Amino acid sequence: MSKIPKQQEKELKSKEKYRSNEKFAYRSVIISAILGGIFFIISLFFNTGFITIFMNKDIFWNFIDITIKVLAIMFFFLFMITSVGNYKELIGKPLNWKELLFLFLLSIGQTILNIWVFTFTLFGLAIIIIYLYIVQEF
Amino acid sequence: MKKLSFRVIICILIVNLTIIPFLFALNGYGTTEEIDSKFGDTPVIDGYIDLFSGEWNKAMKVQINLGGLPPKGLPISLWVMQNDFNLYISVQLELEQGYHNITEFIGLIISNSSSEAKEDFIDAKIIQFSNISVDKFNYFDYYINNSIFSIDTEVNGNGAANLDGVTSTYEFSIPIKNTLDNVEDVVLDYGNTYAFNITYGDVPIYPNGIKKSTTVLINLISLPSTLPSLTNIILFALCIVVFSIIGILYGFYIYKILRLKADIKRVKR
Repeated sequence: MSKIPKQQEKELKSKEKYRSNEKFAYRSVIISAILGGIFFIISLFFNTGFITIFMNKDIFWNFIDITIKVLAIMFFFLFMITSVGNYKELIGKPLNWKELLFLFLLSIGQTILNIWVFTFTLFGLAIIIIYLYIVQEF
Repeated sequence: MKKLSFRVIICILIVNLTIIPFLFALNGYGTTEEIDSKFGDTPVIDGYIDLFSGEWNKAMKVQINLGGLPPKGLPISLWVMQNDFNLYISVQLELEQGYHNITEFIGLIISNSSSEAKEDFIDAKIIQFSNISVDKFNYFDYYINNSIFSIDTEVNGNGAANLDGVTSTYEFSIPIKNTLDNVEDVVLDYGNTYAFNITYGDVPIYPNGIKKSTTVLINLISLPSTLPSLTNIILFALCIVVFSIIGILYGFYIYKILRLKADIKRVKR
């Protein structure tokens, strides 16, 4: 017969599960933030015009250039929203719409030099937000 | 009687209206094409169009006929390009084996404007082969006064030619806005249009040696503005501000994450 009471055993298991979830959430915060940072640097190089190797060559290379810029911003937004969301969960507060809007504005702010990048990013971010909203609802 | 006079006047008027345009046409060279120059890299003026280095890749390329349509006319390839300093024109001429004359030449007779009146063509740049079989050529710069070609005191521009198989290539380089002699040469300027009479001949006597020619209008494009617009400067500054804010916030966020880790450890203890 076990010397530890059943209630205590349950509490221990629950604590261990909480710690495991906490560890996972913290790892997710770190990894997502690093990935967000990497995509931010990619976006910085391309969207400020620091790297122009694909620009003004022909329509194909312009398309590649715009795609890289848009994807860099979208991934930045996606990873940062994941990271911030998990961070807020760890400190016991939910991610509210103001933080979401702030991240959205920071992402869209990176596109001001190119109207095409702005348009496609706006469209892409709207899809991500709709997707996250639907996932939360269900 | 009055009726007769009226008829005579009408007849004279009709005859005049029919003949006068022809007189104008005879006095000019007759335009065939208008070409927009393109900005490109500086090609080597050596009589070769180097396809590997792509020196003429950005040029405007057109096919024209000198002296009318074939078989009477002579089809040529014309390449027009410019940079910040010079206008580059290349002419490629393909003739059957043995049909290239030993003293063949290509000349550019330049009008001081877009006018095609003969008296406005005051400058001539000619690349004259002295012996095409050994690629010996000379570049001449002439001043034209009343159809008399006089050699310039200062040679303006540069030219080279080469015969490769059945194709002879002529390359011209003409300074834009940097002409040594303003009297004997046409001063080309950015954003203006000039009439160029492209001539082909086989006897080094000008203008009698000219066999076929055609006039084209070449539009020199304006220099691209080096100063960015105020809107672009503001947008770029705004972009830098946005990226700086994100960078600072990102750094602060990483700091907060590390602090969170320390807090978690402290709570666990």
